[in-house]
Amino acid sequence: MKTTLKAMFLAGTVLAIPGVVLADTVVCEPGNDGPATGAPIRVGGIFGNAAPGDFSSATRAASAYFACVNASGGIHGRPVEYGVENDQWNPELAAQAAAKLVEDQGVVALVGNASFVEMSVNASYYARNGVMVMASGCAVSECFESSNIVSTNQGPLASSVGAAMYAVEDLGATNIACIGLAIPSVGNWSCGAVESYMEAQGLRASSVLMNPGAPDVNSSLLEAIASGADSILVNLPAGLGIAFLGAAEQQALRDVYTWTSSTPLYDVSVPGALGSYWDGALYVNAELTPLDGEGEHARHWRAVMDDYGRTDDPRDTFSQAGYLSARFFTQLLSTMDPAEIDDRAAVTAAIQGIVGYESDLICGPYYVGVADRHMPNRAGTMVRVSDGGFEVVRECYEYEGPYFEPLIEAERALGLH
Amino acid sequence: MRILVSAGAYALAMAGIILGLSWGQPSNVVGMFLVSGLAVGSLYALGGIGLVVLYRATGVLNFANGAIGALGVMVAWQLVQWGWPGPLTWVLGIGLTTALSLGYGRLIGPGLAWRDPVVKAVATLGFALVVLGMTAFAWEDDVRRFALPTDNVAITILGLRVTVTRLVVVAAVIGIVVVIWAYLGRTRTGLQMRALANDRDLSALIGVPIVRVETVAWGISGVIAGFTGLMFGNLVRLEPTIITFMIIPSIAAAICGRLDNLALVLVGGLSMGVIESMLTLSPELRAVRPIAPFVIAALVLVWIQMGHRSVIGRDQQ
Repeated sequence: MKTTLKAMFLAGTVLAIPGVVLADTVVCEPGNDGPATGAPIRVGGIFGNAAPGDFSSATRAASAYFACVNASGGIHGRPVEYGVENDQWNPELAAQAAAKLVEDQGVVALVGNASFVEMSVNASYYARNGVMVMASGCAVSECFESSNIVSTNQGPLASSVGAAMYAVEDLGATNIACIGLAIPSVGNWSCGAVESYMEAQGLRASSVLMNPGAPDVNSSLLEAIASGADSILVNLPAGLGIAFLGAAEQQALRDVYTWTSSTPLYDVSVPGALGSYWDGALYVNAELTPLDGEGEHARHWRAVMDDYGRTDDPRDTFSQAGYLSARFFTQLLSTMDPAEIDDRAAVTAAIQGIVGYESDLICGPYYVGVADRHMPNRAGTMVRVSDGGFEVVRECYEYEGPYFEPLIEAERALGLH
Repeated sequence: MRILVSAGAYALAMAGIILGLSWGQPSNVVGMFLVSGLAVGSLYALGGIGLVVLYRATGVLNFANGAIGALGVMVAWQLVQWGWPGPLTWVLGIGLTTALSLGYGRLIGPGLAWRDPVVKAVATLGFALVVLGMTAFAWEDDVRRFALPTDNVAITILGLRVTVTRLVVVAAVIGIVVVIWAYLGRTRTGLQMRALANDRDLSALIGVPIVRVETVAWGISGVIAGFTGLMFGNLVRLEPTIITFMIIPSIAAAICGRLDNLALVLVGGLSMGVIESMLTLSPELRAVRPIAPFVIAALVLVWIQMGHRSVIGRDQQ
């Protein structure tokens, strides 16, 4: 609700002084003359924010993008009314949020969703109600293995496999210990895919699953050591990942193993929290292109956040993904017949028909299709912690492994592979 | 004699558990897990001792110790980010936790003095949620690390590098046990605390200055909570929620000491850490690691009840 009000406020401000604001601020496509008017197009979004984590940056970025669209003339001249709900990591609240948006507010689609909980709870609900979710922060298997959810982010599985590929191909790893969360459909799912990838390469891997609230990260580190691995892949939320690497630092293990991580450690505050010990030794997979990228959309994302977001909105991977989902959604609706954009069934069919949308924020084409699983973003970038920041060590590369084979078949059918 | 028998039974049980869980593992691996478990167990013991010190004097099982400690270490971390010298930030962090503990003990504690122990404990749970809410409001979820100079120096014990920070925790736990034992046994205030713990009504009748004695206890508890928060922030991780809920295994350690005996709290905490660590070696039992402290505490409770000793509500007997 707060985000909706913010978007409306921003749009209202632009309405009041269009000449001044439009002259100084970034423009978002489709970019008609003057601010949007008329009946709003209702769109929803659900994020999770409560201890132990805040996943709101995706919906914040989507909100900023829609505010920009509204200020730039809207979609077919109409503004987007973006209603955002917080599931607070509570399954009951997640179900209530979806029902409120889909049934009470009648949204035509959901955009920018980011949560551990929401997708697991609501995936079948979205399918039953024929509404599509263009998510941005998927982390659980149900989010990717659902007919009505498609995300611009990769999630822990693809990102971990990407990190494992780099460890094998560039760092010479032959036996990887994947450190994941002991949460069903998260740690076992993503580290299991790493094991499958390694097995397909004729190499070895094992999973070490940690309780999210465990005070003792040493035992998991020792378990990884006992596995006989020569490479350790940290597939944990940033706070826990920092603690794990701190324990490894205490044991002076930096040079004993090669170290990779999935995306959660690709955050501007991580190098500072890690300290100089890990300089040049920790390689992190980035689900989207680098945060300081110079592509057209990368620069536009930062400009939109500067002009339409709050100064304290994170500029992180989820923010990129939220921006991108909102951008693709806007791109789609602007190509639809104006008479159909309030028809949920028509919007759902149109989203399912998306093929080959491109952006410099992701390495491959974005598509949806009618399928029981979606993971369009499965190519990424590898960066290394360096001098208090990150440097790119491998540009866009496509991930391999048994898990992706059905997806590759689907891409071939769509003429994308 | 009975103590010797109990100690012997305990040593045999621990040896059996360690041998059973580590059967077939190389001795160097077992040694590393053992030392790792002792390091974590010392954290449980530290938290448990802070609880027992206050409970003995006031009858309050303070669930807010973790939240207060979390706020203290977050303030210390923030001051370091602003460029304040480390030692000063530690003192100020502990000073804040002491002030919070004293504030609760003087303003809210007396109003609950004659209520059931459970009511007193639940009141501190409310205080914990208020403090945790304030901390979450002040610091958004982000990646942080609270470093100490002692992190950079380590010695190797049974193949595992142990930082001086961890050794400080072990030394502090033993030191606190000894100092509190001496304080309770050899000072007038300590005698008055023991009198309060034994019978609050009778103590009041014979002229023990209850408010003053309890204030001292709340102050000591606040100092220990502050120190514990700094150690948890460094050795566990700098996340207020995680530090706040470290109170739960700490309570399990305190129960091992019957909320009374500091030496048993130390032994209980270390034992829980070692067993929890050793469970990692068992593929079948690895998944039950998080509940190990509570299973151990439950077994200790059953053992105590077999001897017809009540734990909570001791002051109402």
